[in-house]
Amino acid sequence: MADSDEDFVLSSSGDDRPKARGAVGGGGGAAGSSSRRSTRKSKRADGAPAPGATRREKWEDIQRSWDNVVEGADGSIAGTVIGLLEATKRKRLLRDTTPIQRGIIRHLVLILDLSSAMLEKDLRPTRFLLTLRYARDFVTEYFEQNPISQLSIIGMHDGLALRISDMGGNPADHLTALQEKAFTVEPKGASSLQNALEMGRAELFHTPTHGTREILLIFGALSSSDPGDIHDTINSLVEDRIQVRIVGLAAQVAVCRELVTKTNDGDDSAYGVILDEGHYRELMMAATTPPVTKTEEKSVPSLLMMGFPSRTVEKHESFCSCHSNLTKGGYICPRCTAKVCFLPTECPCCGLTLILSTHLARSYHHLFPLKNWIEVPWSQAHTSTHCWSCQSPFPTNQSQSSPTKIKIRKQSTTAATASNGTATAPEKDQQPPLPPTQRYACTDCKTHFCIDCDIFAHESLHNCPGCQSLSEERIKARANLWPATTGDGTADAAGEPASSMRTQVAEATKMLEKSKIAPGSSMEVDN
Amino acid sequence: MDKVDGTEHYNFKAPADVATLQVIILDTNPLAWATFEKSSSLSFPSALSQLLIFANAHLAFSQSNRCAVIANHIDGVHFLSPADPGTDHSDPGEADLTPEDLKEIANQNASKYRVFRLLEDEVRASYRRLIANTTPEAVMDCPNSSYLAGALSAALTYINRICFGGTGGRSSGVPGDEKSKVNSAGGKVDETGRTMHAKILVVSVTPDPANQYIPVMNSIFAAQRLKVPIDVCKLRDATVFLQQAADATGGVYMEPEHPQGLLQYLMVGFLPDHLARQSLILPTKVDVDFRAACFCHKKVLDIGFVCSVCLSIFCEPPEGAVCSTCQVKLDVTSLENIGKPVVLPPKKKKKKKALDSLPESGVASAADSPAPTE
Repeated sequence: MADSDEDFVLSSSGDDRPKARGAVGGGGGAAGSSSRRSTRKSKRADGAPAPGATRREKWEDIQRSWDNVVEGADGSIAGTVIGLLEATKRKRLLRDTTPIQRGIIRHLVLILDLSSAMLEKDLRPTRFLLTLRYARDFVTEYFEQNPISQLSIIGMHDGLALRISDMGGNPADHLTALQEKAFTVEPKGASSLQNALEMGRAELFHTPTHGTREILLIFGALSSSDPGDIHDTINSLVEDRIQVRIVGLAAQVAVCRELVTKTNDGDDSAYGVILDEGHYRELMMAATTPPVTKTEEKSVPSLLMMGFPSRTVEKHESFCSCHSNLTKGGYICPRCTAKVCFLPTECPCCGLTLILSTHLARSYHHLFPLKNWIEVPWSQAHTSTHCWSCQSPFPTNQSQSSPTKIKIRKQSTTAATASNGTATAPEKDQQPPLPPTQRYACTDCKTHFCIDCDIFAHESLHNCPGCQSLSEERIKARANLWPATTGDGTADAAGEPASSMRTQVAEATKMLEKSKIAPGSSMEVDN
Repeated sequence: MDKVDGTEHYNFKAPADVATLQVIILDTNPLAWATFEKSSSLSFPSALSQLLIFANAHLAFSQSNRCAVIANHIDGVHFLSPADPGTDHSDPGEADLTPEDLKEIANQNASKYRVFRLLEDEVRASYRRLIANTTPEAVMDCPNSSYLAGALSAALTYINRICFGGTGGRSSGVPGDEKSKVNSAGGKVDETGRTMHAKILVVSVTPDPANQYIPVMNSIFAAQRLKVPIDVCKLRDATVFLQQAADATGGVYMEPEHPQGLLQYLMVGFLPDHLARQSLILPTKVDVDFRAACFCHKKVLDIGFVCSVCLSIFCEPPEGAVCSTCQVKLDVTSLENIGKPVVLPPKKKKKKKALDSLPESGVASAADSPAPTE
């Protein structure tokens, strides 16, 4: 950390910039302006690409949270605060939901920085411990999202690349490897980008062409000690069509940006520098979503042979062919009848990929994503009083229901602000910002949901509870009669029933009668 | 075995978090129940009474236990309890009653535990409203309709609200954050933000809604993520969906042999909460059918071919090597490699043997003729 905060002088020269919000590392002040681009290796590149370039870094536009706060009609900021809270909650949700081709079968190498830079305590408890903790979460989440994918973990330690776990599809193996190898290693020495990338490249060399090849690099240091020219490594990564994502823990590094840009067809959005712990997790978990397949990629779709084994239960224990453990029961490979104890896996005897049909189903939501829901304006908000699925009540429009009360409050506030000379505008023109309706509607079934259900449906459930639980007639009824009180659209059964239908209807009426329960019937069971 | 000798008894955690939310998803398709009654002589009203006894038994376990009932009706999903706040709560059954009758009922109910009575009244009133709004024509239009995916989705969102305070079971992951967190319910939370445990019971008489495969599976995975077991009481028509739901989430799957004794099955099989279940051997089904059906001929497969883009399953390489779902030209040449053993036998004699064995598994034919014409 060469620069310290004391050195920082706000000058008007183009290259000195205020402290980067992204730079959590110790220094974070301005870098030397002249020598910035002279070294190719791992110099901090916290400036714009070139003087006078139109592109501005994120941290150059300072946003003050208090600028957005506007007083509500009743003089409180509660409405705006709720709105801001919901906006941040929704921010992550709003993404492109057109069904796009994604690389569902993935091969990813996770490279963790285990150099001395990870001993910094800017992330609690230390960068190292937090990274290991997030790495464990990442492994779990990765296999939950991509059940038929493979993962491998590498560490950058003392100038070397340290293999933590081999390419494999069993999350338990990776978790134990993390526990046994990564936790026992004390962060030490420098990190070597080139060594780690070369090892990752070697691991991905044999992977089949229909899958993706990705590297996720957690980079805590600001420098790299490499045995050769890292640009050669970058070029060979591009040749092998390996996509690299980087999460920087300290500040942006020029060579990292170049690495990401070149391996992602000129798109550097896969390089992120963390703001805080939450943002760190967000950036890391973003890599669990399967990447979009780009057309220029040379990946060839292919037909894979897979076995769907059946589960067996045995009376006596027998060895499984994958771990040689004694187990009672397991899955039998349909081709060679070897017993494996864990799915999905590759049969150790005949090499057949063994999966459950549920593993395939787990990936379907990436292929058919749920549409984004829209915020409901107050003009339509009166049609619902509560969230359709979790039954929590919605706020009602206070300014419409009790105008007199607001007016009194309003006058008192104007009286208070009159001394400042700001309250010159007439009362009626001053349209106070309405608080948010806190309703979100599915565009297909027009059902209103609360923010929590919105997030839950998009992040975990991947279903619209409304679309799944309303018949087409009820959806139509909701769409046509927008201010309908309840969704009982079935009442308007269209058309005269034909004569043959009548007898059926009579039967159905009987059934309905049977299904009815007597009013006030007590709890006693008949038998 | 060491659970039996009671050593665990002493390091048993304080039973502070034993409160459980029981969500019951009940099929209310009148046609399905009428058909079922013919074969089993268990009518819907009697089944509902038995279910309510079960719900009351659940509520009796702890003051803080809660219960919700969701109807999977012919025209969609309806909350029976808690009833929709927006609708009128009048009981259509009470309109016909004379004041004397009402008094009689009130006297009968006077000594009943209030929590039981509230739930019973609400469920029965909501159900009567539901049937009053259902026309015979609508019943005939959709004899087998089931909104299983919707009912599960509604149940899970409700559980998310009540048990997780809307956090979706995900802590922020930032250290020190969850300890100070008190969620909207104001209760104590564990590391996932959970204040209550939850379980879902599906009482089903309708067959699998085949067109809802993906939504149902999505719901199952969401339940898995929230660690909510889905118990299934399947009265009629064995289903694959619900078997997989119970198996994946660690719930109980039962097909009662004698449906008249439904209450017995409910009490013994489904009543234990998550703590009790740890020390019980659950009466669930062990052999679950996991085999997949191919998209082309609907055949049940042991070994199949999967498109790497859209994950469609085929029983043989599709015609022209083009995936019928996503219209992508597939590379079938790689199938040659998959069939071969991992370690190639070095001797010629053995290689011949390996080749001989290949046609049995159907690999050689697939590799030789990428577009078989049958």
